[in-house]
Amino acid sequence: MTRAVAARTARWTRRGLRPGDRVFLHSGNRLEFFAELLALWRLGACAVPLDPRLTRVELERLVEAASPRFSVVDDSVEVASALPASVAVVGADEADGTGDLPPDLAEPGADALILFTSGSSGRPKGVVHTHASLRARWAALRHHLGLAAYARTLCLLPTHFGHGLICNSLFPWLAGQDLFITPPFRPDLLARLGALIDEHHITFLSSVPAVWRLALKVAKPPRRAPLERVHCGSAPLPATLWDGIRGWSGTKEVFNTYGLTETGSWVAGTSGGPFTPADGLIGAPWGATIRVRRAADADGLAALGGAECAPGETGHVWLETPALMRGYLGRDDLTRRVLVDGHFATGDLGTLDERGWLHLRGRERDEINKGGMKIAPAEVDAAAEGCPGVAEVCAFAVDDPLYGQNVGLAVTMGQEGDEAVGDLYRWMRERLAETKLPARWWRVDAMPRSDRGKVSRDAVREACAARPPLDLTRILQGR
Amino acid sequence: MREAHRARVLDFLRTIQKPDRPLEAVAESDSLVEAGLIDSLALLEIVAFLEEQYRIDFAETGLEPDQLTSVSGILDLIEREARA
Repeated sequence: MTRAVAARTARWTRRGLRPGDRVFLHSGNRLEFFAELLALWRLGACAVPLDPRLTRVELERLVEAASPRFSVVDDSVEVASALPASVAVVGADEADGTGDLPPDLAEPGADALILFTSGSSGRPKGVVHTHASLRARWAALRHHLGLAAYARTLCLLPTHFGHGLICNSLFPWLAGQDLFITPPFRPDLLARLGALIDEHHITFLSSVPAVWRLALKVAKPPRRAPLERVHCGSAPLPATLWDGIRGWSGTKEVFNTYGLTETGSWVAGTSGGPFTPADGLIGAPWGATIRVRRAADADGLAALGGAECAPGETGHVWLETPALMRGYLGRDDLTRRVLVDGHFATGDLGTLDERGWLHLRGRERDEINKGGMKIAPAEVDAAAEGCPGVAEVCAFAVDDPLYGQNVGLAVTMGQEGDEAVGDLYRWMRERLAETKLPARWWRVDAMPRSDRGKVSRDAVREACAARPPLDLTRILQGR
Repeated sequence: MREAHRARVLDFLRTIQKPDRPLEAVAESDSLVEAGLIDSLALLEIVAFLEEQYRIDFAETGLEPDQLTSVSGILDLIEREARA
């Protein structure tokens, strides 16, 4: 790995990379990605790992938001052709330098990592972490969780995702533990998960509930030795599934972990002693102070003060942690709304019990949690903007047996007939990654509105739930 | 009998497939995921369908990775389980 990093620092020096430059990384979940990341950090640059499934339109928006100087691509011609001339394209395999590692130029307060999440206004929302905030996260995890259980860690999650990258991969690996990484969400690998654990003597893995729903159905458990510890996070973990994972993995140490990209992911979990799995149970903080307040955000804090709820009383979850992001890239307006003097408004509702353990009770912000991937409905709405014939759209969460939630869409249109629906689908497909496209569609005469005339997503969801969705397959295939 | 199973499996796949990909364009031995017809995690829905409609218990039998990735793989599995 040292040689691989040195080869890349030599290449970057040759290409004129400077401290503070932002670099897009288009493909993760492989050794070369981690070598690239360490090389960039060594030279004081900021890495921006991206979902390789982005559409051209989404990629153009990210370029506009992040102004990267370089973009590391593999053999994907499509990605390279979508980038403007201002972004220099570097081949992932172009790393033939040799020599020693240069001095470490990473300043603790400098930007190290930007992870884009779904923006509530439809504009990209980049979470910026510094070297200091990332190191604070890893130090806190090491202090609260130790390293022994993570000796041979498996990562099945995508590395453009805070949970997969910062915690599942970098926390153990940078502390000297062995990391085994697979392409994300591959059913053939999940089907032989037990064998994979046996073969590589895996002691730990983290994942999301949707992956466990599949693995418990199709994979035989490990035979040689049980896992030492399992984390599950990024989406609600029902108690029945939690028990199922305990049975399959052979360990009681299955921790429901809570974290947000803004906190460097894992910030709390069930590590503080015996517990019985229960819906919403999170547990004790890891390197953070958790407060449940009456105020929901910065405006609420100004109006209501810092008043905290009593144990057992539901309120808004706030976190203070040295691992907190620096802010949202170029979006001081959004940052000011959720970050006040180091106190972060998570957007989650919860309670603290007498032990100080967190229990989540729901989420107050508009957000669709599709198997751990958070999708802002406004981003889906924005992808329909400008489509001829469309009067109004409204995206909302629908229950999904596989992912927990999925994307539903109601649409009002100026013209009759299926053709307009097909046109809207194709329009959105060009502007939105396939994973965010609505799975169920309804055509409505008018959007339900609140007294103030605003479209109410809850009311739209209720109106649509009363009738079957459109048969989109029939519409698109002209049957 | 295989024809009847095929019709039933194809009807089911139409309910979970991505809407703009014609099922007919995917060869019977092609991987449904690699052909872009279904999402990789949709495998769980195929498992649930086989458990419910054909009483196949995957906890008992386990699953070979390639069994459910193509229409022919699914039909072979149904026939094998019917004989067992």
